[in-house]
Amino acid sequence: MLALACVAALVAACADRAPSRFPHARHLSGLRCGGPGLPECLSCTTCHKLTATPKQVFPEKRLCTRCHRGDDPEMLAVTPPTHVPPPLAYTIRFSHQKHLAMRDVKGQCVPCHAGATERDSALFPVMESCFQCHEHQKQWDRAECAPCHEKRDLERLLPQSFAKHDAGFQRNHGQAARQQQKLCQQCHTQQHCDDCHDASQDLSVEKRRPESIERSLVHRGDFVTRHAIEAQSQPARCARCHTPASCDGCHLERGVSGGHKNGRNPHPAGWITGAPSGHGRDARRDISSCAACHDQGPATNCIRCHTVGAYGGNPHPKGWKSARSEGSTMCRYCHEN
Amino acid sequence: MRCRCVAVAVAWSSAALAEPVVIDAPAPEVLVRSETHFRLYQRALAPGPNGALVTEETAAPIVEYVSLTAHDLDGPGQKRSLDVELDVWGSATFGEAGAGRRMDGDVQNANVRYRNGPGWLRLGRQHVAGGAARYARFDGVAGGAALPLGLGADAYAGLTVLPRWAARPGYHQLGSAADSLWRDPAAFPEPRRAEHWLAGGRIHYDSPRLDVGASVHEQREAGGLAYRNLGADARYDPSQKVTVGGTAVLELDARRMADGRLWAHYTPLLALELEAEVLHAEPALFLSRQSVLGVFSTDAYEEAGGSFRAKLWRQLTLTGSGFVQVHSRADLGQRSELGARITPGHTDRTVLLLSVARVDASENGYVSMRNAWRQRIQLDLHATLEAYHYRYDEPIAGYDTSSVYAGTVEWLLSRHLSALWGASYARTPYAAADAQTQVRLRYASGGVR
Repeated sequence: MLALACVAALVAACADRAPSRFPHARHLSGLRCGGPGLPECLSCTTCHKLTATPKQVFPEKRLCTRCHRGDDPEMLAVTPPTHVPPPLAYTIRFSHQKHLAMRDVKGQCVPCHAGATERDSALFPVMESCFQCHEHQKQWDRAECAPCHEKRDLERLLPQSFAKHDAGFQRNHGQAARQQQKLCQQCHTQQHCDDCHDASQDLSVEKRRPESIERSLVHRGDFVTRHAIEAQSQPARCARCHTPASCDGCHLERGVSGGHKNGRNPHPAGWITGAPSGHGRDARRDISSCAACHDQGPATNCIRCHTVGAYGGNPHPKGWKSARSEGSTMCRYCHEN
Repeated sequence: MRCRCVAVAVAWSSAALAEPVVIDAPAPEVLVRSETHFRLYQRALAPGPNGALVTEETAAPIVEYVSLTAHDLDGPGQKRSLDVELDVWGSATFGEAGAGRRMDGDVQNANVRYRNGPGWLRLGRQHVAGGAARYARFDGVAGGAALPLGLGADAYAGLTVLPRWAARPGYHQLGSAADSLWRDPAAFPEPRRAEHWLAGGRIHYDSPRLDVGASVHEQREAGGLAYRNLGADARYDPSQKVTVGGTAVLELDARRMADGRLWAHYTPLLALELEAEVLHAEPALFLSRQSVLGVFSTDAYEEAGGSFRAKLWRQLTLTGSGFVQVHSRADLGQRSELGARITPGHTDRTVLLLSVARVDASENGYVSMRNAWRQRIQLDLHATLEAYHYRYDEPIAGYDTSSVYAGTVEWLLSRHLSALWGASYARTPYAAADAQTQVRLRYASGGVR
């Protein structure tokens, strides 16, 4: 309890109490202004100078100090929080000047930036609001994002109004990657997939990205100890990324592989002959786990007992069938006579 | 109010139509990324093969990843139509390399993509995944095109990439410490790359609310059949809040379904996401058809369950999942997890993750707890702390608990360069004390953040 209380106190002490963003609403509609002896009322363009270039211009600090001066502590509090990163969307290729000059926009910022005056609305419009006027059908069909987005930003932006990378996305992303191949490739290179899926690389993604505590990674924590339990829990899940060779390489090194001449036997006593819960039952249940150690082609130790005529009997389960001819190389491991 | 909104939308549309926006073609861009990991740890082969005494080895590997991507270069007959990707890694181990290699490395991707109108073509080292194909890397060609009426097709073919510069198959067995036979690379047959190839393709129909596709994948190992799969996939959005989908892979050699999955995703509220899923898998069909073990089983298992994510307040998000496995021999298993994401204050400067998980498998199970903390100390200085604790139902190597502690400090030296120091300490059934540390330098010309 004491430890929990200490953690809670520490977290509370570290929590950010600074406003998460500039209090636009207070400045735009919450100020007493415009009257005798009062400062002039502010509009968006008082601080945001719009240029013809796509890059947005954030206000300079000296603009704040026009009003925030004197001895009033509240008026002096103009230092922006130092730990709130700026929004990534600032490099969208978008001309505010051009849009504001349009007849029906009438220089109004709030229809797009509702969060400037409404507390619960987003300050930056989602992409869906661009498509209310612009179809960009040609670019959409070709899955070209770069005309509006900077290519270098794409990997760090998360789609909000389509192709949402939400809770279910991680489980379904493989299917989406094939269905939306062109779209995915706008933001992600093939290397992005390899980060997690290339099981042949020296470092796992957990070791490459130890700071990414929020990513849902498979081999977190003490995976070495629990890997056998995970393999039993979801048979064949390992085989989606790993070949038997990648399991066997590690098992050989630790002397627990069927390919190791003098390796120690990790199976319990009586496991080979025990029935009905012996090795046959386990092999039927999850043969891919057996393959992690015992898949050495013609040297596989299962063949010794289960080859045609040997005492191990027919290993094929009821209902087993194959489209291959009996003369194929693999069949001949057991059926050569 | 409704009329007013429509009027505004119409007015905006007319404004946009009246003054069409001209979008310039994207400028060519070259991005370079580099990652250098300096690691230091001691390791031991416990409990030692064949009763050998455990010896500790101190290793200090350096691993380097380099990526080069170039987008929108001018191609033949078409401006801004070429993309290039090159990803390589290499490692060198100082100290005692044990059974591993002192020098290692590989080319992950090296390809050029050419885009022209609705078509694209990629040549070189690349990978394919999804549909009938499991993740596979190959040296070859892939291409696709969007056809009229929402139809499309893509195809690929090439030589399968053998690990580590086309090393001999079975090369990993050279690591066997006690078996002198395997120390001689000549014990393995010379690989003939022409006998390791793959090919496949997919045809599909895409519309804003429906994606349907059928795919094939054939892969050969040493001239023999490894995989011959037929795949089907579909995704449908009946409304903005609901998405349903499914995939299935049929193993044509065995004429059985290797795996199939149906899922539904429902977002009743912006702050609540629900997902349900049913999975069928037959483990033997995940093995290569060249594996003699693949003929030993036709058992399958089914898994059903769901997950949720609920953002209760800005400061608190709850997540949870629960799945039940039903195996052919009526064995049951389950895995479940409940987690919380806490972000006190007004921003994500402090993030606290708490989770409890339970796994029941056929022979063993465990309960795990994870606490993780991320703190943005300054805009350019971040730190994380993590603690894991496991309790196993049955002892593993005589122990029924294990713990892992890890932490990092990352300093963004500039927009393009960051330095991270990380360390971990663990007590597990396989290590009385496992301490590791690493320094990572990361460079990205497009920005590391």
